[in-house]
Amino acid sequence: MLKILTSTFMLIPLTWYSKKPWLWLNTTMHSFIISIWSLTLLYHDSDLGYNYNNYFSLDSLSGPLLILSCWLLPLMIMASQNHLAHEPLVRKKIYLTTLIILQLSLIMAFTASELIMFYILFETTLIPTLIIITRWGSQNERLNAGLYFLFYTLMGSLPLLVALLYLHNNLGSLHMLTMTLVAPTLDSSMSTSLLWYACMMAFMVKMPLYGLHLWLPKAHVEAPIAGSMVLAAILLKLGGYGIMRITAFTEPFTSTLCYPFMILSLWGMIMTSSICLRQTDLKSLIAYSSVSHMGLVIIAALMQSPMGFMGATVLMVAHGLTSSMLFCLANTNYERTHSRTLILTRGLQMILPLMCAWWLLASLANLAQPPSINLLGELLVIMTSFSWSNFSLILLGTNTVITAVYSLYMLITSQRGKFTDHIYPIKPTLTREHMLMTLHLLPLLIISTCPKFILGVTY
Amino acid sequence: MSPYVTTILTLSLFIGTCLTIFSEHWFTAWMGLEINTLAIIPTTPKNPRATEAATKYFLTQSTASMVMMFAIIYNAWSTNQWTLMQLSDNWASIAMTLALAIKLGLAPFHFWVPEVTQGIPLLTGMILLTWQKLAPTAILFQIAPHLNMKILIMLAILSTLVGGWGGLNQTHLRKILAYSSIAHMGWMIIIVQINPTLTILSLTIYIMATLTMFLTLNLSNVTKIKSLGGLWNKSATTTIIILLTLLSLGGLPPLTGFMPKWLILQELINNNNIMTATLMALSALLNLFFYMRLIYASSLTMFPSTNNSKMQWYDNPTQITMLIPTTTVISSLLLPLTPLFITLS
Repeated sequence: MLKILTSTFMLIPLTWYSKKPWLWLNTTMHSFIISIWSLTLLYHDSDLGYNYNNYFSLDSLSGPLLILSCWLLPLMIMASQNHLAHEPLVRKKIYLTTLIILQLSLIMAFTASELIMFYILFETTLIPTLIIITRWGSQNERLNAGLYFLFYTLMGSLPLLVALLYLHNNLGSLHMLTMTLVAPTLDSSMSTSLLWYACMMAFMVKMPLYGLHLWLPKAHVEAPIAGSMVLAAILLKLGGYGIMRITAFTEPFTSTLCYPFMILSLWGMIMTSSICLRQTDLKSLIAYSSVSHMGLVIIAALMQSPMGFMGATVLMVAHGLTSSMLFCLANTNYERTHSRTLILTRGLQMILPLMCAWWLLASLANLAQPPSINLLGELLVIMTSFSWSNFSLILLGTNTVITAVYSLYMLITSQRGKFTDHIYPIKPTLTREHMLMTLHLLPLLIISTCPKFILGVTY
Repeated sequence: MSPYVTTILTLSLFIGTCLTIFSEHWFTAWMGLEINTLAIIPTTPKNPRATEAATKYFLTQSTASMVMMFAIIYNAWSTNQWTLMQLSDNWASIAMTLALAIKLGLAPFHFWVPEVTQGIPLLTGMILLTWQKLAPTAILFQIAPHLNMKILIMLAILSTLVGGWGGLNQTHLRKILAYSSIAHMGWMIIIVQINPTLTILSLTIYIMATLTMFLTLNLSNVTKIKSLGGLWNKSATTTIIILLTLLSLGGLPPLTGFMPKWLILQELINNNNIMTATLMALSALLNLFFYMRLIYASSLTMFPSTNNSKMQWYDNPTQITMLIPTTTVISSLLLPLTPLFITLS
């Protein structure tokens, strides 16, 4: 564990000691080396995974998410080069330091083996993200976005703290391996329901669940590109990871108490997918698409079936890469026209044909085109949800169709048709942007050939 | 003021608190508190607002001292002894709790705190909100086994809620720090019967963070949110210190301010006060809201200011900032040392 923690921490002196021409190269290169090393964590020779010491462990669920967050750091740094180009050197270094601190807390959060430690690191990720959104966002609305983000998450997570402390008192230890052996002696009363909801609320807000999702479009839209990427790709998955860990021991009650969340997810997926069709803001469209995909993850994680956990894990990794890629693509538009309005950047296929290829592949991944792992995830989720209730098939099928519709809508509006006259004199695509898209897409395609690495604990 | 007067007053302040902390007889404890009150009154300046603040402070603290004297004498009459740790009579301990609540500025006896803190200069306010809390808390620590949990819960929940809601509409920083003090005292008082060491721990961390805030604000003599807006130009590191300290006061992990809240919640839950714990945890979010407002004004946005204040050509720091780095580090980076503080309790 120290291999990855120390090297990530050392990125901070690296940024502060780098001279101006070397700053971006140094940080991107070294974080890339860390992420290449982290790929070795995909190999598990036992089902229980690695148990490094009392506090850090890694198994097939946290491994892929850890690798995803390590992989994303160089991509975030690459994506931020443009909007930080005119800032003074010290501010660039502060931005990179904030990203690295966020990365450190994410690495520790995914490998934490004790639940209170996980809670502390879960909350730790809030502060750097808040700083990135509020300080480096571009519009006035970012202030509100930061507040909504912070307070929605905290309102959910303070009851989680109380619940975890209660369970600690009850069970004696909150170490995840120990807890599988010691079942809590819970009766089916109102207080157990409150306990279950207290445990779940933080992750439901984080995912986000449909009724609690108000912070997400604000935060995603107002954040700068690195903020959007890390929010969409990793921070949402903290919620899914948390659900999958905590439901391991709230056993007999999940099947009855999960109904409100299932209903909200099933309905919410369709609602947020539909609202995507009416969005004028491109980033807002991608944000609502994130809510919709995460609704699927909630359904799968709450199902507690082997296929459900597999589907949730695959969908989390796949959605992380896809959504991050879509945000990068939207950012390339934003950098050229300084506008996020979808209809203002039309017909890009004529002007930036290679970028159109990336748009096509990203949109196809978003709508779960075979053979991508997005399809694998969605199929597993649909199968497991069908086994729970036959009727949900209709809702999930409707969601798949609407997802396809808005993904293609986004693709066609931005790429096809006649381009608008004012976007004619825009800069051609930089190699850095092509590199960014390749690095997002390549893992997605390569994992499609052998998805067993990301199928999670129940494979 | 003449240096002789300042020396005497500072010495008296110090001696007063030490007298209360080290005393075993109730009279000497009461005496120490009175010395503290009297020593801080002359340090206020001579403008009408400060005079009003000093008067309010004197009157409330004297009333509290008289209620305390009543409790002491009642206990002496009822139990025939004057030992500080043996305040065993129920009525006496209730009256003593209320007297100490007035001294500490707990709701519903909190009305004097914002007005007094606002009327006095920043450094005097700092002494008021940090040093003056030590002696009453020491007394509470020692009479902890005899306290009545119902009154403590009432005081604590009211204080956290009042401290949270009261600070929401303020723009003067001293009033904001006063309401923050009311809320934090609420956290400290709820745990004093269950685990008094946590009260001391919470007080220590609160003092560290408040010291940082006051000293940092004193560097540029910032007293309103509007003045916070110009800090990024005068000294950008000040804004980062304010950010870290305020987030720590708000109780966000991984900063030190999370530690007392975590440990207090743990003790409350271990004693089956789960609803109390949830209510206090959620009311801390109110505090966080107006801290966020301060953070927005100072570091995360460029607050509206005149163009003149954006041009800073003369950057010559003349203030002594000796204590600020130490207290900043203590108030933001000490969370990994939590096991140390648990074993000490």
